[in-house]
Amino acid sequence: MPINAGYFFKEAGTSFKRNWVMSFGAVVTIFLSLLLIGVSLLIGNVASSLIAGQEQKVNIQVFIKDDASQTDVEGLQRKLQTNDLVKQVDYVSKDQAFARFKRQTQQTPDIARNLEGNPLPASIEVQLHDTHNVQKVVNTIKATPEFKNIASPPNDPSQSIRYGQDIVKRLFNFTRVLRVVGIVFIVMLAVVSLIFINNTIRMAIYARRNELAIMRLVGASNWFIRMPFVFEGMMQAIVGSLMAIGVMLALQFLALPKIQNTIRFMPFGSTNGYIWVVSLILIAGGVLIGVFGSWIAMRRYLKV
Amino acid sequence: MPDLQATLDHIVPEDTLTATERRPSGPPMIVMQNVTKRYVPERAALDGVSIEIAAGEFVFIVGHSGSGKSTFIRSLLHEVIPTSGRIIVAGHDLSKIRTSKIPYLRRNIGCVFQDFKLLPNKTAFENVAFALQVIGKSKHVINTQVPEVLRLVGLEGKIDNYPHELSGGEQQRVSVARAFVNRPPLLLCDEPTGNLDPQTSFGIMKLLERINHTGTTVLVATHDQEMVNRMRRRVIALDEGHIVRDQSRGVYGHAN
Repeated sequence: MPINAGYFFKEAGTSFKRNWVMSFGAVVTIFLSLLLIGVSLLIGNVASSLIAGQEQKVNIQVFIKDDASQTDVEGLQRKLQTNDLVKQVDYVSKDQAFARFKRQTQQTPDIARNLEGNPLPASIEVQLHDTHNVQKVVNTIKATPEFKNIASPPNDPSQSIRYGQDIVKRLFNFTRVLRVVGIVFIVMLAVVSLIFINNTIRMAIYARRNELAIMRLVGASNWFIRMPFVFEGMMQAIVGSLMAIGVMLALQFLALPKIQNTIRFMPFGSTNGYIWVVSLILIAGGVLIGVFGSWIAMRRYLKV
Repeated sequence: MPDLQATLDHIVPEDTLTATERRPSGPPMIVMQNVTKRYVPERAALDGVSIEIAAGEFVFIVGHSGSGKSTFIRSLLHEVIPTSGRIIVAGHDLSKIRTSKIPYLRRNIGCVFQDFKLLPNKTAFENVAFALQVIGKSKHVINTQVPEVLRLVGLEGKIDNYPHELSGGEQQRVSVARAFVNRPPLLLCDEPTGNLDPQTSFGIMKLLERINHTGTTVLVATHDQEMVNRMRRRVIALDEGHIVRDQSRGVYGHAN
């Protein structure tokens, strides 16, 4: 059947012109919904990269007294290296610790300058594969005889090991809540957009009921009658998602660097690659919502 | 009614045509076998209607409002699905037709209505073209067939006018043109002259007659007594869902 595909575009365009208030409403709803979905995805990403940064800090630090024996230190290091839960073991000497301290206090160099000698202890830094296992590894370390020999200060070994168990727990709880809230939020927004598209297509069907009656009478095929509405829903969704992507890109490349500048201490990490993934999700989600929404509307209101 | 009927039959000269000439032979365009339609269980809109209409006939369906005329017409389009019975239209058995094939059934049936059903934002040309457009006809076909059919209905000078710029009769002509542009073998008209004055109505009837002469079967549901009496065609009278009279070269009849 020689059907000019331009017909469907034209029809969808005409309908948009004729019914632009409603269409505009649908576009704006999709735009806002997708924008919120996108922003929550981005925030989720920033949050998880922040958390990842925090989780890095959760690694175990064992401080070593200045006169600890080399064999004990190496013994403990060797034991940790053979532990399956441990990813990496680093020895940080007194000098390295001091250098790091000086770097951290760059802004106020007087602090380091006023110190007499080097008061910082050497340490062993342990990185784990999975931060959930912090407590287990800490207990293992505490049980080794070498630990007691090298602990600084020697009179209170519990102070010589640092791992922030509270932070770990709170972070995990926080991420779990964040994920659940995010998913619920996104599902709700998707449903709202669906309802809105459904409504606009219903209005479009109503506005064209005379044409539709004639189309049915003269024997237009069912898919021919439906196609303009699918197109319309899809076009609304695509316009909405392009707008959302535009705003997201603006946020990413204009606003985020400024925000990052004001809070340097919290590295957002790089989301530049992620934004394109989000854009893709938005456009795919938009099209899906558009097609699905108009399909439901047609099933309910277009008896062909 | 029988008395009047007898009188009228007596008045109509029966000698001019033989029975076979009055009803064109050939394969039937419409066959209804014992068709019943109930919208509500207690009342039948059509009650055991059986009828055969041959290809090329011109038939009036007459009867009061609520006699089942519209149900009759709409059941031929498969817009109304009978409760029981069998309908065959243009070779399609409607009791077996698949939903996806209904559009193709309707391409064989032109429809004209009392309220014209023209699209107000389209010109006469566009209104007629629309019927071809939506069944996927090419621009070339549209540009040759539409002016031709508009000439046939006598609107060659008004093809670019919008419906509101046309008189009622002219609007109905556009509507007839739209129904006929695809050259369907069957033309259904539901009260085509219901909104028109007698003179204009007669013009429309003459147009339908011309279309009938091209071989198209024409079915006209109407209240218009004068018209029916004037045309002297086959008349099927419906009352409360029954066929009470089926008469070639008939008249409207008062008691129906």
